[in-house]
Amino acid sequence: MKKKSTQGLNRREFLKTSALAIGAAAAPAIVRDAFAATRDRVTVYTSSFAESLHPYKHSSSPIYGQWQHIFEPLVEYNYKRKDYDGVLAESWQFDGKRWTFKLRKGIKFQDGTPFTSKDVAFSIERMKDEKGGSLQGSNFKDVTEVQTPDDLTAVFVTKTPIAVFLDRLENRFMLSKAAVEKYGADWEQHPVGTGPYRFVSYQRGGNLVFTRNDDYWGGKAPIKEIVFRKVTEDAARIAALEAGQCDFINNVPVHEVARLDRHPRVKIDKIEGLRMFFLAFNMAHKPFDNKLVRQAASYAVDANSIVKNIFEGIGYANQGPVGANVVGADPKLKRYPYDPKKARELLASAGYPSGCDIQLYTSPGRYPKDVEVCQVVGAQMAKAGFRVELISQEWAIFWETTGVNGGKLPFYYIGRGNLTDADILYDQYFRTGTTKRTNYSNPEFDKLIDEEQKAPDMKKRTAIMQQAGKILMDEAVFIPLYNLADLYGLAKNITWKIRPDEKVLAWDMAVK
Amino acid sequence: MRRFRHFKVFVGGLILIALVVCGLAAPLLAPFDPQEQSLEARLQPPSWAGGAASAHWLGTDNLGRDIFSRIIYGSRISLLVGATTVLLAGLMGCFLGAIAGYFGDGVDEVVAKVTEIFLAFPFLLLAIALMAFLGQGVINIILALMMSRWVQYCRVVRGEVLSLKEREFVTAAKALGGKDFYILLRHVAPNTLPSVTVVATFAMAVVIISEASLSFLGLGVPASIPTWGSMLSEGRSYMSRAPWLTIFPGMAIFVTVFGINLLGDGLRDLFDPKLQRQ
Repeated sequence: MKKKSTQGLNRREFLKTSALAIGAAAAPAIVRDAFAATRDRVTVYTSSFAESLHPYKHSSSPIYGQWQHIFEPLVEYNYKRKDYDGVLAESWQFDGKRWTFKLRKGIKFQDGTPFTSKDVAFSIERMKDEKGGSLQGSNFKDVTEVQTPDDLTAVFVTKTPIAVFLDRLENRFMLSKAAVEKYGADWEQHPVGTGPYRFVSYQRGGNLVFTRNDDYWGGKAPIKEIVFRKVTEDAARIAALEAGQCDFINNVPVHEVARLDRHPRVKIDKIEGLRMFFLAFNMAHKPFDNKLVRQAASYAVDANSIVKNIFEGIGYANQGPVGANVVGADPKLKRYPYDPKKARELLASAGYPSGCDIQLYTSPGRYPKDVEVCQVVGAQMAKAGFRVELISQEWAIFWETTGVNGGKLPFYYIGRGNLTDADILYDQYFRTGTTKRTNYSNPEFDKLIDEEQKAPDMKKRTAIMQQAGKILMDEAVFIPLYNLADLYGLAKNITWKIRPDEKVLAWDMAVK
Repeated sequence: MRRFRHFKVFVGGLILIALVVCGLAAPLLAPFDPQEQSLEARLQPPSWAGGAASAHWLGTDNLGRDIFSRIIYGSRISLLVGATTVLLAGLMGCFLGAIAGYFGDGVDEVVAKVTEIFLAFPFLLLAIALMAFLGQGVINIILALMMSRWVQYCRVVRGEVLSLKEREFVTAAKALGGKDFYILLRHVAPNTLPSVTVVATFAMAVVIISEASLSFLGLGVPASIPTWGSMLSEGRSYMSRAPWLTIFPGMAIFVTVFGINLLGDGLRDLFDPKLQRQ
């Protein structure tokens, strides 16, 4: 009897202590959350969060943005100028099989050691070392050597001339050779770079904290500390922003925009995103081998109506084969107008007077409102005589050799992210043999892509890609739909320069 | 007490009958084509709640489809999947349970191990795994739910048969020269029916919920077929703006499952000899 009561007491004691412990652990969190955005600290709740601090583990653009607080690349794409800016590199020169980079003088790592061409050569070696966890090696497979004639010159020697080499240096961050060698296997836990912020702490799936690097070569950023926290659930991010627990969130769903915009302490910022959505035909499959059928389908789909009704008007219908901001876009091109009657006629002249049965494939949940979009597409195409069966597949089955990349899907809804240059899409989807995604083959088109990839001058490249784009539109090899907006929610006292690449960078922000 | 039991069976049965009528007479009852989209008329509230101008009794969804018609058509899938699964899983489970219980020994061991393997998986997880493997489709969903649902029948029937086979009437049948399967079919099986009926009604409720869950996760039937689960899933992003997208299909699931459970509960009480004697 006595024993029993002691046990009860113990349990009660235990509960009491654990309650106290939990309370104690939660208290600092509550106090911190009570802060609004200040110059001292901005808290970002993000759906994309760095899975490690190894900057060569392949990742998405928003995660590059997090790493970029510590590490810097040689060059960076400037979306306004549509060309590259030097970051660690001051100038560069393309000369046959050699790319020569002059580095900026007087740059120091956060541990005080100088940044030199040796660090560049070392970093590229690490990127090529795929056993060491790098997934970026393919960018440098043609690089035979990185020469370092002096501390401020790095020369990349390549097997063949590569005009588009700057693109491969995008998001390729420079490590400190000295620091990596000092920490050895443990270097990931001690990231040292040249960036405007220093590393403070990181918990996988928790917080990632950076503090300002006051010795930064490019001048002091206005915000002292930035905290990234992983919150994948949309509703949780929104609730936290509304409650003032965080100052900044990414990926606001379109249907929440109107409501959040009315919130007294919150504003919405948006920019045309770099992901382009489209409907792709695989031309190895009937009936899409027939150009008339593809044109009929192009007339049958009303992208403007989808943007207006499904995405609340927050989107940008494509006029040509790529979005207006993409290098190689042609302002003269127009999309096929919505004309179900014309579509029906074309379908009849293609040999399908009583319509035809097709399947539209999608992977639900991969993209915003994908199933809704496909249902609307199905209904629109039905007016032109297509009988559309909608088939949903798991992403792995949809995307791998069982699906798109095996050339198995005749017609599918897809988005191509990070599309800054038309070449990315044209080469990957439509050049003979690059992938099986569309099985399009046109020697004339292939020749243009070859030419464009070797052209050293941006103007010339653009002109060639515009020619290529016109062929794609005439042949109706796919149905371009729209780019969506990247939507951010932020506290009203923050001003920031929004970027189209999904990166959230502390030095783009200021707090009033 | 007894009157209350009848009441449960009555109300539950009525709900089930209403469901069957909805499913069978869907084209007659539904005022609109459930697939017809009208993007201009999307997210209209129910006609009796602010949507006065709208002809849609329960409003329209995110693509401008009539919610009332979709709920009526959605009952077809619930009913079809529910009834077929319960029947097929029942046949499979009862058969295996009966031979396991009756013959015992080796057969029993094998069946017991197989049921344990199936029971080791959480029911819905097994169904999700099977759906991911098989792909979408009405037949696939029935198969997936059946594979994860037959075990309950098997266990109940096995237990019943174990006790029934020791009873005098079975011994008598054996003494009269009855063959095993004859005895199983004529003398043992009919006596398991009350328990099987109760298991079946509860199974039906679970299956309807599971189908809705799978459709909610996008693993159910193709998007072109309206189901309550997929209606919930599509409507959930509009919860704050257009709650009727989720409230009505949610209520449909709730009322149906409640009704079937009520029926099962009532039947169990009716069949229970202990309660009957009171």
